[in-house]
Amino acid sequence: MRPFTALSALCGLFLSASSFVGADSTTSPSRVALPRDFKPPQVFKNANLVRTSNLEKGYLRETVNVVVENVDTQPQSDYYLSFPSDLYDKVGALEVRDKTAPENGRFDVEATEFSPGSDFQYFIVHLPKPLAPSSQITLGISYAVLNSLRPRPAAISQNDRQFLAHSFSAYAPSAYTTVTQKTKLKLPSTSVPDYTTTDLTSGPDPQRQGTTYTYGPYDTANVAPGTFYPINIRYEFTKPVITASLLERDLEVSHWGGNLATEERYWLRNNGSKLTDNFSRVEWTISSYQQLPSSSIRELKYPLKPGSVDPYFTDDIGNVSTSHYRPGKVPNREGSLEIRPRYPIFGSWNYSFRIGWNNDLSAFLRRAVTGADSYVLRVPFIEGPKVAEGIQYEKVVVRVVLPEGARNVQYETLEKSSSNGLPSASQIHSHISSYKTFMDTLGRTTLTLTVEGLTDEARDSQLLLTYDYSLWDSLRKPVTITAGLLTVFVAAWAVGNIDVSIKKR
Amino acid sequence: MAESPTDVLLKGDSGRNTRGLLRFIILATIAAAAVSSRLFSVIRFESIIHEFDPWFNFRATKYLVQNGFYSFWDWFDDRTWHPLGRVTGGTLYPGLMVTSGVIYHVLRFLTFPVDIRNICVLLAPGFSGLTALAMYFLTCEVSPSPSAGLLAAAFMGIVPGYISRSVAGSYDNEAIAIFLLVFTFFLWIKAIKNGSIMWGALAALFYGYMVSAWGGYVFITNLIPLHVFVLLCMGRYSSRVYISYTTWYALGTLASMQIPFVGFLPIRNSDHMSALGVFGLLQLVAFADFVRGFVPGKHFQRLLTTMVILVFGIAFLGLVLLSVSGVIAPWSGRFYSLWDTGYAKIHIPIIASVSEHQPTAWPAFFFDLNFLIWLFPAGVYMCFRDLKDEHVFVIIYSVLASYFAGVMVRLMLTLTPIVCVASALALSSILDTYVFASNGPNPRSKANDDTPSEGLRSARKPEVGITSYLSKAFMLTSVVIYLILFVAHCTWVTSNAYSSPSVVLASRMPDGSQHIIDDYREAYYWLRQNTEHNAKIMSWWDYGYQIGGMADRPTLVDNNTWNNTHIATVGKAMSSREEVSYPILRQHDVDYVLVVFGGLLGYSGDDINKFLWMVRIAEGIWPDEVSERDYFTARGEYRVDDGATPTMRNSLMYKMSYYNYNSLFQPGQAVDRVRGTKLPMEGPQLSTLEEAFTSENWIIRIYKVKDLDNLGRDHGNAMAFDKGHKRKRATKRKGPRVLRTE
Repeated sequence: MRPFTALSALCGLFLSASSFVGADSTTSPSRVALPRDFKPPQVFKNANLVRTSNLEKGYLRETVNVVVENVDTQPQSDYYLSFPSDLYDKVGALEVRDKTAPENGRFDVEATEFSPGSDFQYFIVHLPKPLAPSSQITLGISYAVLNSLRPRPAAISQNDRQFLAHSFSAYAPSAYTTVTQKTKLKLPSTSVPDYTTTDLTSGPDPQRQGTTYTYGPYDTANVAPGTFYPINIRYEFTKPVITASLLERDLEVSHWGGNLATEERYWLRNNGSKLTDNFSRVEWTISSYQQLPSSSIRELKYPLKPGSVDPYFTDDIGNVSTSHYRPGKVPNREGSLEIRPRYPIFGSWNYSFRIGWNNDLSAFLRRAVTGADSYVLRVPFIEGPKVAEGIQYEKVVVRVVLPEGARNVQYETLEKSSSNGLPSASQIHSHISSYKTFMDTLGRTTLTLTVEGLTDEARDSQLLLTYDYSLWDSLRKPVTITAGLLTVFVAAWAVGNIDVSIKKR
Repeated sequence: MAESPTDVLLKGDSGRNTRGLLRFIILATIAAAAVSSRLFSVIRFESIIHEFDPWFNFRATKYLVQNGFYSFWDWFDDRTWHPLGRVTGGTLYPGLMVTSGVIYHVLRFLTFPVDIRNICVLLAPGFSGLTALAMYFLTCEVSPSPSAGLLAAAFMGIVPGYISRSVAGSYDNEAIAIFLLVFTFFLWIKAIKNGSIMWGALAALFYGYMVSAWGGYVFITNLIPLHVFVLLCMGRYSSRVYISYTTWYALGTLASMQIPFVGFLPIRNSDHMSALGVFGLLQLVAFADFVRGFVPGKHFQRLLTTMVILVFGIAFLGLVLLSVSGVIAPWSGRFYSLWDTGYAKIHIPIIASVSEHQPTAWPAFFFDLNFLIWLFPAGVYMCFRDLKDEHVFVIIYSVLASYFAGVMVRLMLTLTPIVCVASALALSSILDTYVFASNGPNPRSKANDDTPSEGLRSARKPEVGITSYLSKAFMLTSVVIYLILFVAHCTWVTSNAYSSPSVVLASRMPDGSQHIIDDYREAYYWLRQNTEHNAKIMSWWDYGYQIGGMADRPTLVDNNTWNNTHIATVGKAMSSREEVSYPILRQHDVDYVLVVFGGLLGYSGDDINKFLWMVRIAEGIWPDEVSERDYFTARGEYRVDDGATPTMRNSLMYKMSYYNYNSLFQPGQAVDRVRGTKLPMEGPQLSTLEEAFTSENWIIRIYKVKDLDNLGRDHGNAMAFDKGHKRKRATKRKGPRVLRTE
């Protein structure tokens, strides 16, 4: 039926002997199912809670430092982290550490099934050592909340300033009673037309200091956990709210070419205010001439690793001619790819595109010390444009295409003493498959990692991969092609020798 | 004579092998040159589909690749010709798409991750390499000289007349059709020379492929019967003619009827009647020939006369009857315009509005063919000297194609192959005469002693020819100079005239670097990303295919111009006042209107310059409502400035083109750089449309059609109210006051 593939597959199998890649090894993020109307056991008390909400970028970045005390008689190890139901799915890059010893690494965090009836949803933090009764631990919890900031007014005209609104509860949502707490807001500018004032403290609330607004401290020992005290704040943010609804990132490793090819496909959206009137080219020409701030995406600067070559920037209908590339210099000057979309992207407008480039593989790959045929690949998990207003990624799919025949693929994300912007390993969905291209016989081993809810803070995160790859594997393709061509020639010669004439000999 | 190493290579059996290898290498080089000279646009711009029609072919190919052959065959496309839709699968020539689909699947089968766009872009150059090969075969059949074929192949590879339709990205039917045309003719000549059923059947097969690929197949359908007819008239009937023609006609007609778009045309359409007629005639001639063997001469003469008169009368009567009763379709309008160049302008403005249907200007012949055009008559003359069957074919082809190329610019394409053949004949004869005939005691005749088989020909004839080295050198130098000039000209023409994608415009920055004006794609991509998937776009039909291909949105009209009324409706909407146009837009569910405006940049191919065609086509259907005269001033000028007529200034097209354009300039300084005029102080006002998007250089302007007013007013009043014109409100207040009870 398909003689060539059949043949080449046969040759490939013959040559590969024992290099069978496990066809499918998939890990999905695990989610714990909780019973209906679950209430976390009240075994902890938050002695002190400081929540810092950073609004300087187009998404909400929160850090909660909380002193937790075990009020039970037994040692406890499961701390429940609660989020309002409407925010639960938007939380990304959640990380919990011991604040006093961040270099010990992150704690294991598990997500729970979404239970529809409840106002709160929970993450379970597994403390590495059970907390003894009446002893304390300081947790540093950090996470990003995507798509929670609303542009208000929802529609502005083209040259207007844009404002975002952030609504939250003065009492930080927690499953446990909190004794004292306060919330610090870091705003991008001092232009804050509306904010809620409370009379929960004796002094003025909030206290303002430059661009920092502080709500609290509140004495909430008697406030039931989960009490909602609405606070709204509306601040100027005349920058685009850049959202990538999907980022697909392909990294292709070629041992023969010594090349690491990267291609990224973006589906961008601006979540800022819509335009009340339609787009006016006249106004746009004037305002871009005067370099006025705008709520539209005008240009994205994409730093590329030193030594990146052959960059391209295309979309569905071809090359986008409005881009520039300033090549970097090995060893340490970064290149800069300036991406200018075909049109300025205003609120609720979309733009999808793809970019790609090549790198020398030697900067990313080396032989493992453990075995001769074992390799270690270290690549950035995501890169993405670097912009002051930040980027939120709703879904990221990273695909690492390893050479044909690579096996024993293992990966990990590199941890540092501070947050690397990635969620814990259990929240990363991984999948190993094979991908056939360029006359492959077995297909290339491909590791696909899927993460939801990332921000541009994950730019510096690193992905570490180890795999085995032997000399035989690298010779498989030339041998297969040679054998295939030889077969074709022999077949042609054989067919040519058959006498089909109807003449009498 | 001692055998030098070159003698070993050039003489005898190994000599034949060497020549074969050389010929193969030369042909491969020619094919490579043909391909590479078509890649200017890919190198200069990118791998992109060009112009207008190729965008449709590209879209259809994508559909074929994604949905498979059968659903492509039955494809009803509801995204064109809204609200009519188009039975695309049955109204196109599928050969091109199927060819690229097959190539795509073969490459995918070999696991090459090649993009269908790149296949489409590079299909035409690839096939032009094949055309050069086919041309070599064809010319070798016509001429005994070995150099003629190679020359013809080289000419065909780089001649601008063919390159104009086959540069990379020009993904049109002609891309593969010219190869098929040449190859079918080669097979036909092979068939008629050998009287072979196999070659005739092969010719039919490729004819079938040609039918599936291009509407120009009618040229073959008429040229081959004409060839046979002329042969019969010359008294050259033979069993070879009979076998090859009947084989070709029977199989070829059946093959052509497999294409849904052609269907029963071969037996019902006048364009195809000559083939049928010659088929019948050939049977009669064959029968007469058969009878002659049995009947004495005198009786035969009488029999023949009666038969001829009888058959001719019956056939003529039958043809008239069938034509009148409508069984045989009358000649199509495009066909009439082939004979009367003024016909289209009077009767079918839509055909006349296409620039490639205009008569050819004289310089175009030199531009497209360079020195081949003056070698061409010489080549045709050479055919008369040695008038074999195949030479008759060349002569007929030359005469017909010359005429057609003079009538319509695009038919230059069918002329080009025969020009290459004829001029290769002429040039090779010159070269043979001057290079091979030698002076004095012939070294070759000595060599002939060793190889008596070659010696026969020269031994029979005494050596005649040019013997002076001076004249040889002079002649050769001038030929070489002409050839060099030809190559330079072809490269220049290809690079400058035929390699612009026309989707992307290139200009130069002050520092000499290239600046790309990409307004078309900017606007199309905006439409694609930021409008609803089913938003209907109205534009003049030129841009229909591009909108369908790049913006992926339904269009009202596109470049497939079979429905004149629908196009005229769009023309009427564009050329009428807003009050007239708005109901038309609403009735056709139009969401956005797209116009092309070159005034800011000086881009002359814009809609205001095409506007008169819209008016003319609309006038053809609604002579009472649209009148071309109203768009000209009293002195007969076509103006857009202060002197423009009220009809012009109130037309939707004018308003959309110049809306808001004033605000880009100082008051009163607005200039239209295409028309080179100052515009009126006051810009036009739009009430039923609102500007949705304008591209960077204002080439594309997109307007959104407003929904009905919430309060039931017409848009003019609503606008006046919003602007705070108090007059309307004052008149209303005079009515009795009503207490609002809400």
